[in-house]
Amino acid sequence: MEARPDIQVVDSQSAALWKTLRRALTGFTARTLLQGAITIWAVMTFTFILIRQMPSNPVQIEAERIVREEQLSYDEAYSRAAALFDFNPDQPIIEQYVEYLGRLVRLDLGQSITSAGTPVLDQILQYLPWTVFSVGLGLLISFTIGIFVGMAMAYWRGGILDNVVTAIASILFGIPNYIIALLIILILGVQLGLIDIANALGRVDPTLEPGFTPEYILSILQHALLPVFTYVAATVGGWILTMKSSTIATLGEEYVTAAHARGLSQWRVLTAYVGRNAMLPLVTRLAISIGFVVGGSVIIEDIYRYRGLGKFLVTAIVARDYTSMQGVFLVIAISVVFANILADVLYGALDPRVRVGGKER
Amino acid sequence: MDLQSVASPTGFVIGALCGLVPLIIGIRRRTFGPGLLGFLACLFSGFACNVLGGLPMIVLAVAVVISYTYTDRDDPFLSRATIEEVDFEETFGAMITRRLATLGRSIRVGLRALVRNKAGFLGFLGLAFFFMLTIFGPMVIPYDGEPHYYDRRQEGAITLFQGPSAEFPLGLDWQGRDILSHIVHGGRALIVTAVEAGVLTSVIAVILGAIAALVGGLPDRLMNAVANFILTIPQFPLLVVLAGLISFKDRFFLALLLAVLDWPTLMRAVRAQVLSLRERDYVEAAYALDLGLPHIVLREVLPQMISYIVISTIFSIRGAMYAIVGLVFLGMVPFTEPDWGVMIFMGRSQGALFSASAASMLLSPVLAVALFQLSLVLFTRSLEEVFNPRLRAGL
Repeated sequence: MEARPDIQVVDSQSAALWKTLRRALTGFTARTLLQGAITIWAVMTFTFILIRQMPSNPVQIEAERIVREEQLSYDEAYSRAAALFDFNPDQPIIEQYVEYLGRLVRLDLGQSITSAGTPVLDQILQYLPWTVFSVGLGLLISFTIGIFVGMAMAYWRGGILDNVVTAIASILFGIPNYIIALLIILILGVQLGLIDIANALGRVDPTLEPGFTPEYILSILQHALLPVFTYVAATVGGWILTMKSSTIATLGEEYVTAAHARGLSQWRVLTAYVGRNAMLPLVTRLAISIGFVVGGSVIIEDIYRYRGLGKFLVTAIVARDYTSMQGVFLVIAISVVFANILADVLYGALDPRVRVGGKER
Repeated sequence: MDLQSVASPTGFVIGALCGLVPLIIGIRRRTFGPGLLGFLACLFSGFACNVLGGLPMIVLAVAVVISYTYTDRDDPFLSRATIEEVDFEETFGAMITRRLATLGRSIRVGLRALVRNKAGFLGFLGLAFFFMLTIFGPMVIPYDGEPHYYDRRQEGAITLFQGPSAEFPLGLDWQGRDILSHIVHGGRALIVTAVEAGVLTSVIAVILGAIAALVGGLPDRLMNAVANFILTIPQFPLLVVLAGLISFKDRFFLALLLAVLDWPTLMRAVRAQVLSLRERDYVEAAYALDLGLPHIVLREVLPQMISYIVISTIFSIRGAMYAIVGLVFLGMVPFTEPDWGVMIFMGRSQGALFSASAASMLLSPVLAVALFQLSLVLFTRSLEEVFNPRLRAGL
């Protein structure tokens, strides 16, 4: 069989990519993982101390609620609240810390304080997928739009498309995401009546049975529409503008002129030479952004009553549910650290000029 | 320093007095136009910020006025003086005049660059609008803080909310108060806190970045570790937790808190810049000429970074405003009226989100915040041209 040269080229390219990826991984693995573990531990300890320094504690908050609602005396309410929760506010913080650390080693995040008997891990796993789904989808859509539109704008720069999209992108980039969310509800929903807001809030129609039924999936998509649209609108401007300037910089490179001079087709130059190189800095940023997907957007989830991890975190903070807060912060810290490692590795693998390992030449 | 002051009649008098200086200099140097402009500029800034605005503006206005007619006798390209006429021992007065003229020329170049970029100029106009609104607005529109009950309720209305009308251009809020007055009075504390936070961020970042780059060793590693650490924690949730810890009696603490969470990005950039600039030929040349550390830092290194630092400050201001309004929006900080963020929070909790007649209560502060932030972002375009001569030369 006659080997086709272009396929071979692609094969050897991907093989080389894998080789670099593997080398980058093994060269660093130990050191990077250790560093990551230390960072996660530091964040965990920091937040552990911090959240216990906040005024009031879960028992007091619950006692105040009981006083408000049942007109008991504070002491009575306090003893009732204390009996309700498996948490002793008078225990020294260092003891709590050692206890927590001991459980953490066994991958046990403990029980939620305010809803006693529910493991924090279960709670997080219940909220996490919704946030990852909505924020992650928004991130992917806006990244994809940003790459293509930004490249097109750089290619036809100075044209109508460039001017119009630059203006729109600057406006979107300039406005905070919760303002966009409020404007969507106020203008599209209330003033123009284009969207049925009441039906779009929350994360799913509560009357439907969960399951892989078409109605249920449709309901999920319908309820995720507004948050995802908001995430896209709030971030797409930044991606477009970054991609545009990155592409313009790449278009001026000498290897692009050389590729044109060799008579390569316009399309091939644009995809294989310009696009890939212009995307480099954006891929790193994407990897870093993935880390923050987990934290979600606290305010957006609050506005749309989308019960994701961000909303859960705020509820935990208000109720001073130490263990739940701790768990969420831990999960976020882990994902951020891993996303940063991913960004480093990706960058090293994609751009041979930067070897993260620094060993090989 | 009281940044919270508003325009006052005494400020008008102070501004007029300050304005006399550039006016008289302008008349004596036969440049009436710039002199008059200088007078107006002093009048305006004195009016807006009393002595604090009037006195610095004297210097700037005089510099611009002088720069129109000044020729440097030592400059072989500008002066027609022969070598015998040049006095190489410069007197103090001559030095001040020369410095002022240089300053004035760069101000004029900067202003021209400011106007040239259309988007940037639009942003500048937007910021100027909000500046005028919060400084001069209170003189025209008194604060309507007391709740109204029945005196303003319309026939048959269930709530006190009202849409825009001739008497109240932006309508009434849930307590029947004039929304326009809240917009006019509610921006100042927010803007001042955000600006404080942005400036503090840059100050911390530049100082730490310079130390990390110039000292190196342990301080460098320590600061990098701290920066990494802060960048790992998600900012907003952390802020929500920290908000429970600090006192908000003084908004300055909030600004400080925001700055403490925001410095790492700029600090890394400054560190990298200083490290690379230190090795440049012209900096080495300045060292070799023994020009002294102040000269090297201020004249050789800083101009390279100033564009980046200023723009980063603007983005920090934007981020700070995002965070402050967000905190108030979630009801996580005790708040004081009037404030745009509080208007959004109250509007939402009083059900203005889903009622068409009450939309103005939410829409007004939302648009105010959005337009202010948009102006900030657009303004950076002009700033890029003002501080980056390479961009200017390209046009």
